[in-house]
Amino acid sequence: MVGEIIGDILRLTVLAGLGIAGIVAILLWKKNLATRVTFMRFVIQAVAFTVLFYIFSYSVPMLYLLIAVFGLSLFLGRFFCGWLCPFGLIMDLEIMVRKALKIRHRPLPDKLNIVLHKSRYVILLVFLLLPAVFWILDSQEVMVSPLMAQLLAGHYRVYSVILDPMVPFIVPWSGIGTINLASINFSYPYAQNIVTFIGENIGIYLATIFVVVTLIGGFLIRRVWCRFCPTGASIAAINRFKGFKRVPLLYVEKDEEKCTKCGVCKRVCSVQVNEVYEQKSGRIGTSQCMLCARCVEMCPYEGALKLKLGNKTVFHSRNWLEPPKVE
Amino acid sequence: MNEEERQMKTKIVEKKYLPEVSQKEKDELRATVKATSQRIIAENIERMKKADPQRPEALKYFDDIANLFGKRQEEIESEKAKGKKVVGYMCLFAPTELITAADAIPVRVNSGWYDTSKLGDRVVPVEVCPVIRSTIGAKMIELSPFLEQSDALISVLTCDGMTKLSEILSDQKTIWGMNIPRIKDSTQSLRFWNDEIKHMKNQIEKFTGNKIDRKSLKEAIEISHRATRAFRRLQKLRKGNPVIMGRDAMLVNQTYQWDDKVRWTDNAERLCDELEKRAERKDWVVSPDTPRVMVTGTPMFWPDNWKLPTLVEEGNPPGIIVADEQCSGERILNDPIGVDEWSMDDMLNAIGERYLMASTCPCFTSKDGNEDRINWLLTKIKEWKVQGVVYYVIRGCMLYAMEYSRVKKVLDKINVPVYYLDTEYTREDVGQLKTRVEAFLEMLNARGDF
Repeated sequence: MVGEIIGDILRLTVLAGLGIAGIVAILLWKKNLATRVTFMRFVIQAVAFTVLFYIFSYSVPMLYLLIAVFGLSLFLGRFFCGWLCPFGLIMDLEIMVRKALKIRHRPLPDKLNIVLHKSRYVILLVFLLLPAVFWILDSQEVMVSPLMAQLLAGHYRVYSVILDPMVPFIVPWSGIGTINLASINFSYPYAQNIVTFIGENIGIYLATIFVVVTLIGGFLIRRVWCRFCPTGASIAAINRFKGFKRVPLLYVEKDEEKCTKCGVCKRVCSVQVNEVYEQKSGRIGTSQCMLCARCVEMCPYEGALKLKLGNKTVFHSRNWLEPPKVE
Repeated sequence: MNEEERQMKTKIVEKKYLPEVSQKEKDELRATVKATSQRIIAENIERMKKADPQRPEALKYFDDIANLFGKRQEEIESEKAKGKKVVGYMCLFAPTELITAADAIPVRVNSGWYDTSKLGDRVVPVEVCPVIRSTIGAKMIELSPFLEQSDALISVLTCDGMTKLSEILSDQKTIWGMNIPRIKDSTQSLRFWNDEIKHMKNQIEKFTGNKIDRKSLKEAIEISHRATRAFRRLQKLRKGNPVIMGRDAMLVNQTYQWDDKVRWTDNAERLCDELEKRAERKDWVVSPDTPRVMVTGTPMFWPDNWKLPTLVEEGNPPGIIVADEQCSGERILNDPIGVDEWSMDDMLNAIGERYLMASTCPCFTSKDGNEDRINWLLTKIKEWKVQGVVYYVIRGCMLYAMEYSRVKKVLDKINVPVYYLDTEYTREDVGQLKTRVEAFLEMLNARGDF
């Protein structure tokens, strides 16, 4: 048992190392990349995608992943959502296609956006409580506590639902919720769980509807799922309260004096975070923000917006009319 | 509305404001004012040349363009003969990208002639801002080449003067009013303004007969981007030890308003290249100890209203203008249009936001008052290492005058002296201004020594 865990950890470390090595190699190859965040983000998303594919092919217990993702968001906020999540990558690719076709995107009304954002915590709570509800409805004798049993095994698995956005588009396994085309297994976030949980007859239809709706939605509305995705609930939500202000290490910071409130940051934000525009200065402490740094990239005033890790500025806004400096 | 209909209309409609001036009087007045103006343009340029013996070569081009009755007027005339339309505008809020995209020529028509402001007195009382009076006067004697050449005028109703100016000019010109919301930071304001921009797009399309499509608008925005880049580069060069006289830089900034955008950009880049070399040579135009002055307030329009920059830079002791916060200066091009997705919709929204929200015009207010302007002033003071601010107000400019006390309070806090300088469109007070400006510069020098 212990050996297995150590083995898993080693494999994960190797994979993570590979991923980081890939990023570093590309950065070295193209030195001015750090100034083009959107492109860099896309590369990292692609690397994360492959890493997840390998993780899944090694059948690593998903609980580790769950811990990793939530551990990450404890300190880095929703860095995962903006930079690593495969479902996010799918939606970003859709945005690219839409941009190429010159079709406009539709913003959601601000109020709806905030309601959706708040509902993510409710959805997460429902997912977590469902096993208990099921157990009450149909109590069975179990060895461990019912909640734990349901959480880790059984028909309905909470962690797998929560980890669903992480299902890469191409998966190493075949079976329920996947389509095999030219010996590549295609899947879609949540599809597999919908089918297993609801049953194959209706589930397949529901899964198809889900796929179609989210694809169309993601095409017209930028990052539509990220606006209420329960996995995206992060500790950043509590940094508004006293004492928790320093919890997230990665954050966007605004300099009041340098800002002319031109509104670019608000318009380019794919999940419509208003705080970055409305807040006067300081760190943008909203868990709506996915830290994709698009606002930082598009802000035309030198140093008005900064992406910071701890006290260090990772990346700051600059006069993007000038070509990036190559060192 | 086509040309004939418009002329029909102007014939039928009685003049609401402008008095009938006989052709003879008009011609006489125009001849005298034009002669004075040409003399002043030449004189101003001559003084600027004298101030900097090693004046960059690239500035020659801008001197040419600065002659309002010269090369550029002829150029626009020949373009017009080819069938191009000219669209004039008064305030900087007019979306020039839309005009360029519709293959028309944008020109700013605000007038800086002192003499014509006296003529404007015949229509409006002397209490009215001289920029307005001067523009009315220029129209009365048909002096301003660009105002005469423009087929239509975009008037953005920013201050009271501009609002009525558009009404007065509508006696003789097609005017498109744009209603600008005064509260800058609310969503409904932006929505309203974006609608105005869309409406203006339709109007320009209809008037010029050229459709503004995605491609042409993108091109126009990119032209603006390149111009902004050159513009910002020039302002950045003024951050260090002085390599260019403030007057020269201000003139370069102003010529953008009537010059061809692409050609202006090329020449501005050339100027910056030259200035960079100059900075490497450490060949400063004035001693680096010269007090660094920033001018903020009412716009100063070329050619007549050049007395303050001249007084500051030719004063005894001299100062150097390193930055300005005026709509005749750094506000022209400082903000780029931040387009996220190059769809028609997003481009129009980006243009709307760039013109409304990025502006620091005192005609706005918001939740915290016009604090964007305050913040921007503070940033400019810090980054351009400004030692003293001249708050320039011409009598009648209510908005700038009323914002002074707030600016003063803030600047007092960071211990930067600010001097309120009020004047008129007249040459008579130059001697008195000289004393005032020199006292201020003396004080800045003393602070520097201290």
